[in-house]
Parts: sequence; structure tokens; C-alpha cells
Amino acid sequence: MTDARLVVGPFNRVEGDLEVTLDVAQGRVARAQVNAPLYRGFERMLEGRDPRDALVITPRICGICSISQSAAAARALGAAMGLDPTPQGALAAALIHAAENVADHLTHFHLFFIPDFARPEYAGRPWHGRAVERFTALDGGAQRSAVQARAELLHVMGLLAGKWPHTLAIQPGGVTRAPGPREKARLAATLRAFRRYLETVLFGGPLEAFCAIPDSASLMRWPGGDLALFLEIAADLGLEGLGPAAGRFLSYGAYPLAEGPAFAAGVLVAGRPGPVLQADIREDLSHAWMLGSPAHPLEGVTTPDETMAAPGYSWCKAPRLAGLPMEVGALARQAVDGHPLALSLAARGGVLARVGGRLLELARTQILMEAWVADLAPGASFMAQGAVPRDGVGAGLVEAARGSLGHWMRIRNGRIATYQIIAPTTWNFSPRDAAGVPGPLEAALEGTPVDGAVPLAVQHVVRSFDPCMVCTVH
Amino acid sequence: MSQIETFYEVMRRQGITRRSFMKYCSLTASALGLGPAFVPRIAHAMETKPRTPVIWVNGLECTCCSESFIRGAHPLAKDVVLSMISLDYSHVLMAAAGHAAEAAMAEAMETHRGNYILAVEGNPPLNEDGMFCIVGGRPFVEKLKEAAAGAKAVIAWGACASYGCVQAAKPNPTQATPIHKVITDKPIIKIPGCPPIAEVMTGVITYMLTFGRLPELDRQGRPAMFYGQRIHDKCYRRPHFDAGQFVEAWDDENARKGYCLYKMGCKGPTTYNACSTIGWNEGVSFPIQSGHGCIGCSEDGFWDQGTFYNRLTNIKQFGVEANADQVGLTAAGVVGGAVAVHAAISALKRAQKKTQDKVEG
Repeated sequence: MTDARLVVGPFNRVEGDLEVTLDVAQGRVARAQVNAPLYRGFERMLEGRDPRDALVITPRICGICSISQSAAAARALGAAMGLDPTPQGALAAALIHAAENVADHLTHFHLFFIPDFARPEYAGRPWHGRAVERFTALDGGAQRSAVQARAELLHVMGLLAGKWPHTLAIQPGGVTRAPGPREKARLAATLRAFRRYLETVLFGGPLEAFCAIPDSASLMRWPGGDLALFLEIAADLGLEGLGPAAGRFLSYGAYPLAEGPAFAAGVLVAGRPGPVLQADIREDLSHAWMLGSPAHPLEGVTTPDETMAAPGYSWCKAPRLAGLPMEVGALARQAVDGHPLALSLAARGGVLARVGGRLLELARTQILMEAWVADLAPGASFMAQGAVPRDGVGAGLVEAARGSLGHWMRIRNGRIATYQIIAPTTWNFSPRDAAGVPGPLEAALEGTPVDGAVPLAVQHVVRSFDPCMVCTVH
Repeated sequence: MSQIETFYEVMRRQGITRRSFMKYCSLTASALGLGPAFVPRIAHAMETKPRTPVIWVNGLECTCCSESFIRGAHPLAKDVVLSMISLDYSHVLMAAAGHAAEAAMAEAMETHRGNYILAVEGNPPLNEDGMFCIVGGRPFVEKLKEAAAGAKAVIAWGACASYGCVQAAKPNPTQATPIHKVITDKPIIKIPGCPPIAEVMTGVITYMLTFGRLPELDRQGRPAMFYGQRIHDKCYRRPHFDAGQFVEAWDDENARKGYCLYKMGCKGPTTYNACSTIGWNEGVSFPIQSGHGCIGCSEDGFWDQGTFYNRLTNIKQFGVEANADQVGLTAAGVVGGAVAVHAAISALKRAQKKTQDKVEG
């Protein structure tokens, strides 16, 4: 196929709706445009409400990362109240949030990403038979056991947070549920069972050994579990070179505990680390169906352009940090945190790096959660008390499974005056900005081979970001 | 696909043993509140009846319903139900992608015309001719109407499809609209909740697949077996409510003792759902058990009732004994597989809402 325009979408097995327009030349993507064809207007609904209502409304932006939304809202409100969670409250909130992120990584790998390799288009490959057996959508052995393990892991939510999705337990001062010794014991047992699943099925080896892998070359020699089959596929299909990153990564820092975030905050640009300067964030609207000028989220507005005029092509705004698009997600988080394997993977970016980064984070987070449960102190205070101010400003920056999530709120006369949200996929799937610079996915897709009726390589690149479109456009 | 398989054949093909199948039948019977005598009836139905195809579509939503569904319930029930619904079309879970997936849906609709159950997650936004939610290049509302035209019955998953949910909150920027305002000529069963409880979802779908008809519905179109009681009626903290023992601030001494959350804004007394009996995440807990009040997410309009943290002012402390079915007995109940037309349902809903306010206010 040469010199054609191709519209790929709708993407199913993606949270929400997505369309990608590709200009193809010489069998490769020359230019990509990512369109988020869905808009809900949450920011507008929040205006005029009691600030505490953000804790209930914003999680409902997304059924997969609802805790991340809830944590960001609690942080933003807490910042406006001048209130920090108690140390134990922060610990319990981190556990709840980490359980969701881990569950999301598992869901992405098994339900959204890997089933593509069991498709008949790959029938000639030496690994295809095994991929069909393990990875087929809804039927593969790996998928069944992952869904089962995930359901059991989410008992953590039951024990600490009441219900999931759309948990209410996280508040600015901590959590509503003070776990007792009984919960602590059950949490430990739940995590032990989940580790057993990870070590016998997914990784096929000790998590500590996996976390000790120093670089991407050693990763490719990992021998165990479903992971080994994926690595064999990745090597055969050259996933390492597919959909490379632009070398700009951002993380707000994950799991803020009393002693600091468990995974560090920062940026990584062309291999050089630096701090996150929140004031340098702007949302560009030049190619979004939105009215207004580029603004920091505290000054920003969300006014949909009902005429959907060109050059707009998406409901998604284009966030930029100091004028540049940033890639966010597990790979960014782990690389910013300085893990050697993640740094090695991030040097090239690409499909394998994003998936590898996610699996690395899955293993590291499991180890963290086990330590946190051991640190839970029943009887300590899990909630600091505070009052919502009449006027105030607050930002809540957290790390969702898919990357950096920020909430910015202004309170006036005891009501929400403005509320702006920048979600992870807003960063990753942003449209072009006024300078014509494409968003991270648009850039990653350039050069991707397009062959056959179904361009599978394009599917792999898009899915490697683990997009969450409902969050993107909220 | 001229001859449609029976449920039993599907299950056997999916590697489910006879023993597991019988266990599934007894689980189903107990989940639905039916006695052991129903087990052989369910088994017989599943062995002899062709399976009912299910098409599951997603509009403006957050996928929390799918999430709840795949995560919860007894593993066996989930496996069985998933393997049955996966055969046709599910936007989130199926294997095919892009236009192949859309083609699969068109084919499933054609093959099973008039015979399939349409499960709707989310709702259509009607502003700007539906342009706020585009699926396959077309507004979702068109896809929804098309899919509904050939359906035998429609399931409205969650608060979005049933009532609009938070995306319909004032000022409802996209004019997100519950599906019964768009689909007016088919029986619609509402499974409200944000999200609904997994066991309720599997229970309802199993009932419909097994018996080939809708379960008994209340006047709002909800299955009576799951939405017949208030959270408050079966809440384990109820004795503290009756004794006037309340949490006054988050994590205070009273919270540690597990006192009632009414003063923290709990909507349990006015919310009809099964959280306090079935529980969440495989029965581990539910919101009140985590120390946060119920927000009433299975009730119409829960998102626009003032702040979620204000206490209810329209309930009596004692003597509130009417339930959804006793309230407004003058209105005829919608029973069994009877087709409830939209106009009647909304009229009844209005009537009920009024009466309910009167009784409880």
C-alpha cells in the first residue's frame, strides 16, 4: 500500500473511543492524527458545586482509573485546605492506589495488548500456536488466570476502600477506613496470593530477580512464564524498534508518603533528569475543538467548539511542559525514578519498552505494597481533620497507571469556581500544538509499517501506550 | 450459523465440566433467590434451549460497568456468562478490532435479528447531533437505535444507561440522555448503580438467558429481586442508627466503633440496592463498611441532589416501613416479561417519586 490515507478505528479493547488517521507513503506512516471522538464535559459540571463533591464526581470520569482520579481530587482539595494526610492515612491511600495501578497493568497486558498476537494474521510465525493457546481474547489460558488473580487482588479494595470501581474512601486528610489487625492480616494474605500468581504464571520467576535485571539485552533473556513467550514474540517482530519515543518523559512522582514519593518525581529529556516545574504546563488548543488560548490549567477553560472547525481534529487538548510534548506512563515513571532497566528501555522507547516498563513497575509495586502492609499501624490516626476554605486554590498531581494526572481547582465563595484536569492520555494522545509539533503517539506512529488489510503494527503502537480515552477527554 | 447451539453445548465447548455445570445451576438458583427445586429446571432449560445471543455496546461512559462485571461474581458464573456473551459482540473485550469488529456486530445483529439481548453500557449524548460520542465514524445514538431495532429486550447497565449519571449532571454539557428516552419500543430492564454490583449483573443476565424472559421488575423497571430493599434496611450499622449513635467526623472515636454514617451524608435510607446484602468485590465489603456513607448511586438523579456530604433531611427516624413496591400501590406493577412501554414507565416513575417523597418526607 502506498500513498494513501487510512483511518484506523474504532479501537475496541481500549478504554473509550479512538480514531487514528494515517497518511501512508511507501508503505509507512508519514503522518498521523489522533482523534478522541468523545467529550463529556466533567470540568463544566463541577463548576458551582461544593468542593467536596469533586471527590465523588471525578472518579466517575473513568471506571478503570477511578482511584487515581479520586486521589488527585483529594490532593487538590487538600492543597486548597492546607491539609496533608496523616502518615498512616497516606500509607493506606497509597496501598489502595497501588492495587488499582497493578490491576490496570495486568488488565492492559492480558486483555488489551497481548490478544493481538493470537490473531490469524500471524499464523505463519513459529510462536503463533502457543500465543493462541495462552493469549486469545477471553479464551486464552493466561487471560483467564489473570482475570482471576486480579479479582482476588482487588479484595484489597474491599478491605480498605469498600467498593471498586468508584471508591469513596480517599479524602484530603487520609482514608475513611482505619484498618485493624484483622484487615492487616487479610491484606498480607491477599498480596501473598497475588505474588504467587505473578511468580508462577506471569513472570515465572522471583520478582526480586526480575527487578534486578540491569538492561534491555538481559531482559530479552528472561526465561520464565508468559513473559518469556511475549519476549520471544517481541524479538521476532522487532517490537523494540516499533513506535519509538521522542525521548521526553514526565512523572509527577507516585505514592506520596510522609517521607516523599515512592517513585520519584521529575522529567527525563534526552537522557538528562530534571525537576517538574508545574508552572510551565500549558494546554494548547490550536488543534482541539476547543475555544480559548493556551493557558495554565489554573487559568484554563473548557469551552467546546460546537462547529468543530478546522484545523481542530480532536476533543483532546494538547498539554505541553515548557512548550514540549511529554510521554507519560509506567516507562516514564520508572525511568525518572532511575531504575537501570527502565533507563535502558527508555533510551530507545518503543512498544517493547512501554510494555517492559509496565511489567517492571508491576513487579516493583508488588514488593512495595507488601512493605506498606507490614507498616500499617492499626490504632494510629488515618484521617487528619480540616475544613474547606471559602476561597482557595489547589493542585493535585498524582501518577495513574497510565501516567501523570493533574487536577487544578479554584474555590470561590465556598464553591468550585474552575476545575481543570489533565489526564495521562491527554499527554500521550494530544493533538498537534500551534507550532505543529505532534503529540507523543502521533510522533511514535511516524515510520510505522502499514501492510496488509489490518495494519497490526499500528495496533501494537497505539496499545503500547495503554490509552484511556474517557480520561483523556473527560 | 443456521442451528444455534444450546447453552450447555457452548459451555461444554468452553471446557466446562458437567459437574461445574450443575454447580453453576445451583449457584444461579441461589443467587436469584430460587429454591433448590429450581436447579433441575435451570439445568433442563440450559440443555435444551438455544443460547440467547447478547450484543454489548458502549456509549458515553467510563467502562466501570464492564470492569465490575469481569471482576466480580463467582468465578464459575463469570466464566460461563462471559463465554456466552463473548460469542457475539463486546466492544471492550472481544478479539477482533476496528472495522472487523464493526462487521462482526453487523453480522451478529443480522443473524440473530429479533432474538438477541442488547446490553447497553453508557448513554448517547444528543447535543450537536450526537457528535460528542462517535463510534465507527457515526454518532453512538445511531448505532444504539439500529442495534435496539433488532433486539428482543434491552438491558440498561448502570446509572448512565438507566438515568444519565454524573455526565448528565448540571449543566449536562453534552445532553447525555438515558437510553429509554431514545429506545421507546422495546422492554428495557434497568440495572442502576455506578457501577452495578457484579453479582447483580451476572444474576440478571443469567436469569434472562436461562428463562428467556425478563425477571420481575419494579415500577422503575429494575429487577425487584435486587432492588426491592434499601441499603438502610439491611445495613449492619442500622442498630446504631436506631440507637442514635452517629459518626460526627471522619475517623473519630465513633467511626472506630462503627457507628452510623447518617450525619456524614449517607444516602442508605433512600437508596434501593443490594450492596448491604451482596457486598462488593466478591462480597468483601461495601462503601459503608469502609467508613464512607452511601452516595445513592443507584437512584435517579443522585448526582444533582446537593452536596454528597449533606445529611438527608427528608427521612423519619422511625416507622418508615414502606418499600418500593408498597409505595404507590395504585400503580400497576410491571411483571414478568410484560412489555413496559416508555410512556407508561415514565408516568409511573413520576407517580412513584411523588408518592415516595410524600411517605418519606
